[in-house]
Amino acid sequence: MNAEVQRVVITLPAQADYVDIVRLNLYGIASKMGFSYEDIEDMKVAVSEACNNSVLYAYNQQDGMVEVVFEVNRDLLSITVSDEGESFERVTPNSNRVTLHDKELHDVEIGGLGFYLMEALMDDVSIENQTGRGTKVVMSKRLMRSEEKV
Amino acid sequence: MNTNRNEKFNATTERNEGSCTVYLSGELDLSVAPDFRLVMEPLIGDSDLDLIINMRDLKYIDSTGIGILLSILKARHGMNARFVVDEVPAQIQKLFDMTGIAKFFAPNENSQ
Repeated sequence: MNAEVQRVVITLPAQADYVDIVRLNLYGIASKMGFSYEDIEDMKVAVSEACNNSVLYAYNQQDGMVEVVFEVNRDLLSITVSDEGESFERVTPNSNRVTLHDKELHDVEIGGLGFYLMEALMDDVSIENQTGRGTKVVMSKRLMRSEEKV
Repeated sequence: MNTNRNEKFNATTERNEGSCTVYLSGELDLSVAPDFRLVMEPLIGDSDLDLIINMRDLKYIDSTGIGILLSILKARHGMNARFVVDEVPAQIQKLFDMTGIAKFFAPNENSQ
């Protein structure tokens, strides 16, 4: 009954060069928790996509920071990526979550794949967009243990 | 940041008769997307050459990288020229399948 949550917080410049640092931290935390190689790779992609969006859209070429919070639960890793930017690629349900499956090559538009990947690769994703107060992406993945307690 | 990590992105081009192969290694993400574009741009327009990207040593790709592949696909398709991805690691193939880009790549002919 004691829901013990441990938090790891890192704050980085909202620059493309730092997104790999988030991946390295994620790798460290997730492997320590016991996630499988494949789950860690999935989370790497999802978290990077959230960071990419802060890097690309939050600060309109100006300096800003991205905060990444890892919340380590016993059987769940929750990751929050937030910025304090003015604008973000507007995310409205079903508008940006496109795949190429039902499209011909000449109909394909580049963009929107990042959000689709986040949702496809994590168990749960929520996105909060507040005008002038930045964007917060919260995503989580459950830890599947190989030996289940019966 | 020019730290020397072994995951650092690299692209090496090898020209053969009738084809050109680009070997990718490391992590292809937003930070190196301009480098990747720069390597690919001069190669895309030559419709006489089969363009092949070998991904054997590619550790990671994000939606920016997939977007560049998509723009190459579009350009090559418009010229009726072949564009092939070769030795795609399972984790990256999974992303190609999920996003739906997989179906646009020409089937690889291993006989060459």
